[in-house]
Order: sequence, then structure tokens, then C-alpha cells
Amino acid sequence: MIVSEHTLIRTADPDDADFLLEVYRAERPKAALLDGRREPVLPSRDELAEMLASKDAGRNQFFAVEDTAGRVCGFCGLRGVSIEAVFCEVMVLLIDPADHAGPIGRETVQFLLDRAFGRMHLEKVLGTCLDSEPELRALLADSGFVSGGIQRQVLYSGGAWHDIETMARLRPAPGQGG
Amino acid sequence: MPFKTDAYIRRAERDDLDTVVAWMEEPDFHYFLYGDPAQSPRQVRERIVLMLGRGVGHTMPGGVYLLIDSPSMGPIGLVSLQNISWRNRSCSLDLYIGMKHLRSRTVTAIAIYRALEYCFDELNLHRVGAYIYAFNTASWRIFEFAGAKRELSMAKHVLRDGELHDVYGYGLLREEFDEVRRAKPRAAGFSLQEMIKTLAGNEAESSG
Repeated sequence: MIVSEHTLIRTADPDDADFLLEVYRAERPKAALLDGRREPVLPSRDELAEMLASKDAGRNQFFAVEDTAGRVCGFCGLRGVSIEAVFCEVMVLLIDPADHAGPIGRETVQFLLDRAFGRMHLEKVLGTCLDSEPELRALLADSGFVSGGIQRQVLYSGGAWHDIETMARLRPAPGQGG
Repeated sequence: MPFKTDAYIRRAERDDLDTVVAWMEEPDFHYFLYGDPAQSPRQVRERIVLMLGRGVGHTMPGGVYLLIDSPSMGPIGLVSLQNISWRNRSCSLDLYIGMKHLRSRTVTAIAIYRALEYCFDELNLHRVGAYIYAFNTASWRIFEFAGAKRELSMAKHVLRDGELHDVYGYGLLREEFDEVRRAKPRAAGFSLQEMIKTLAGNEAESSG
């Protein structure tokens, strides 16, 4: 586990299923929880527990984020790793949207960037956010992600169309901070 | 007076199985709904497990593969509509022209145009997307010709021949395709046949 000033980040395990279910049940849709067809999925607690218990969970690098009081306040991970093109996608799933603007959000993204660039030696990291996730977009922008564009009307939810933005951050040049 | 409730809908868990089995064994259940009282509890249980295990309908196909065919030349290529979302009424489009000597812009244009007509007019989709490599200039130009907008540009995103290339994400909304169909005939006597002739003329000019 990685202990920082405001967070403790560790691999997620089946006991975290209830907290993960809370993320899925959030009022606003989240880009990171859409499937390949950009549809929201509604997993049951049992399915989430099975997913978290599977070996794939470890391979896909899925982590729970705890605050200093030991409360699970979200999840994060890396997925879609392209060995060929040396990039991956970050997932940041904080339960309280307000945490994106604070140290929990910053430390979570920094943890993912350290893993992607420092440990996995990737060249590029992508992040996606729906127009219903302005807090996540601000966090990614503050962390050095630059917009690659907005795909229009990809999701229909809550009686309205939603756009999805893809942001990218390149590996820092040698000698520059991450 | 507003009607309030704290009830909500969720997927069933394994813990709910005994409750559901009990309901389905009730005479009222068989009376008002369905079921066979002669079924053993084990069969009822297995059936319920199957029912509860089903996700929200996957009865509609998630992908459609269409062949581009010609009475004179035979099968030309493949159009694949992937990640069809019946909820979002969207899909992503891939096209491959298998007969290499027909990989002209004309054939590609016709195939893309027909595929788009199929997406919007037959499948009733709202949006068609496509990821096209930046070096495939002919393809993305034709997609733009059909009204698609370049929404996304991903630098150094795909490896080909040892080099990383950019990838563009295109999106075409139904209203934009309809606008192209409405506007172009008025503007220049445009039709699918005219488009084919125009493109064929352009090709002849560029090759001559």
C-alpha cells in the first residue's frame, strides 16, 4: 500500500464491494464506469465482489483509496494498457465529488501517474470524463492533462445527451517532475 | 400532495434467492402469473438463478457485419458496425475493402455512404463514430464529405511499421447526415450518383 499525507492507496479487495457499489449508484453518470458501448452498467454487490476477487482485478490495477481515518473514499486504476503504443487510461472514482478538488484527488492522480510513467514506463496516459463530471475534468486539467477533443452525444442518460471528453498527458521529459 | 417513497430498484443478490423462491411457490404466483406447481423446488430454484443472472437485455445484436457486394465483381469488402448501443443509438463504423484494386476513393465513398444510410435509415441510430488513422487521408476526407466532424485527435496513438501515428475520432449525428442529404442536392444537383461521378472525375484528374 502507498501511504501519502492524506490518503492510503491499496489494491481493492472483495470487502470493498459495498463502497464500489456506492460509486456505481452515484446520481450522475461517470465515464470510467461506461462499458465498451458507452452504456452505464448496473452490477450487483455480488458481481462486484467476484470481480474484485478475481485475478483480473490485480492485473488491471484497481485500487481503493482511503482517507486518513481509514474510510474508503473512492477507487482508482489503470486500464486498457497498450503495450504497443505504450499508453493506458486512468480511472478516478471518488465517491464525494468535492474530493476531486482537494488533496485526495491530487494524491490519487499522482499515484496513478507514478505507476504509469515510473513503474510501467508508459509514454502517455489518457483520461475520459463526461460533461456531468466537471470536478474530474478540473482535476485532470490541473494534473497536466490536455484535451484531445470532445465526442458529442455519446451517452443518453437522465433524459439528455452527454458528451465525453478525452484528455491526455504525455510522459514528462527527463529531469522534469511528474 | 406529492407521492413519496423510499423504494428503489436494484439487481437481485444471492441473498434474495430464498424470498423469490418462496414467492414463486405460492399458489397466487401460479394463478396470477405463471409456473407449474408440480415443479420440484430444485427446478424452481435453478430457474430463478438463471432469471436473476440475466443482465438487462442483450437481445439486440452488439455488432453487425455487412458485406459490400457487387453482381459484376463479387464481394468487395466488409462494413462492420461495432459497439452498437441500442440505448444510446450509436455505433462505431469500420470499413475494409478486400479487393485491393478497388481501393479507390469512389468505392470507399459509396460503401461509407451506404453504410451510413443503413445506420440512420434502417437501424434508426442517432450517432455513428469512427476512429481513423491520420495517415489514412482518403478515408477521413470521405467521412468528412458525408458530414462527419473530427471530434478527437489522439497523438502518437497507434503503432504501424515501428512508428507511432495519430488517430482521429470522427462523429456524425443523424441531423448532420440529413443536412448533407438535404443541402447538397439543392446546392449542386447533388445525389449519390453525382457524388460518385464527381469523385471519379477527381480521381481521373489526379491520376492524369
